[in-house]
Amino acid sequence: MRKTFFILSVIFVLISITFSILPLDTLALLPIGIGLICIFIAFKKSDVSQRKVLKWFFAITYICGLFVLGKTYLVKDEVAVDTTFEQQKIEAQQEAKKDLEELEGIE
Amino acid sequence: MKRVLFILSIVLLLCSFTTENTVLIPSGEKLVYSGSYNMSGLMTQIAQVTMSTETVATAKNSYLHLNCELATFSKYDKFFKIRDTYESYVNPTTLKPSLYKRSINEGGYTKKEKYTFKDNKVTSVAQKRNKPETTKSFSIGASTQDVVSLLYKVRAIDFTKFTAGQTKSFTIVFDEKEIPVTLKHLGSETVSAGNLGSKMCYKLSIGAKTNVLKGTDKNLIWLTADAKKVPALMKFSIPVGTGQLALTSATGI
Repeated sequence: MRKTFFILSVIFVLISITFSILPLDTLALLPIGIGLICIFIAFKKSDVSQRKVLKWFFAITYICGLFVLGKTYLVKDEVAVDTTFEQQKIEAQQEAKKDLEELEGIE
Repeated sequence: MKRVLFILSIVLLLCSFTTENTVLIPSGEKLVYSGSYNMSGLMTQIAQVTMSTETVATAKNSYLHLNCELATFSKYDKFFKIRDTYESYVNPTTLKPSLYKRSINEGGYTKKEKYTFKDNKVTSVAQKRNKPETTKSFSIGASTQDVVSLLYKVRAIDFTKFTAGQTKSFTIVFDEKEIPVTLKHLGSETVSAGNLGSKMCYKLSIGAKTNVLKGTDKNLIWLTADAKKVPALMKFSIPVGTGQLALTSATGI
């Protein structure tokens, strides 16, 4: 039982780190939550001498949680200035004007 | 008596200008939405959608340029960058389209479409990434719109006369074919409308005979129940999931 939850803890700690780095927002809280539950159960099932690694797992997962919440509430969602896209929009409008004038010419 | 009849006819004539065929969407209107996508039950904000209008004049005519663009937030750009634009050049009064353009750039996949409307005929030019340009001509109905102009046309409907469950049919041209679209009035609800505050809105369901939209009454739009009829919230259900567009800022309305 302890071994199963220890392995699950390792898996979810790794997933938590990956999800926290990727821009998955609050979705990362899912493996973090499951990870914390697994760590807690593994911690309870372990002897005092076996708990050191689990304490580290808890710390890492906890930091991941704080990092995700910090990103969610402190980092503002914004669209980057895309000069290529802006240039494409200007060109598209010029082209559209030409198309409309061609269309008017047919009428 | 003649004078009374004359004044009455003038009044009736003026009233007739406020029917659905005459829509006044202001030039310079800008509506900004926050686009969220449902990831494992959690709504995650991934993109910004901007709907703007501006007047474009040629030597002969003046058009209203309706522009919808979607751009992913900078944090997603490295993983899956989206820059989509849907544009329509319409008659400022009737919102009848003359030109419709669609440019898609989704994680490297590109597609460009251009539809020119002439009487009841559409000439489309489409180009997918690494594929040759294709041209097609097809006939459409007199009231067929493109998808962008339809979104603005819906804002001209007088929903005060609608009862819950009442429907209205439209036809749009999308992916080089005509698609029937049904709009169903589902009642009124109060929703948050960004900088406009909480607003009483008309709740409408959009149904289309296409694979792009899924489910019954799962594609919804809330229009503010005032003269502006600003889309405050849009919820969509597509084959790859569900999401929503929530109004964050409305200017020039």
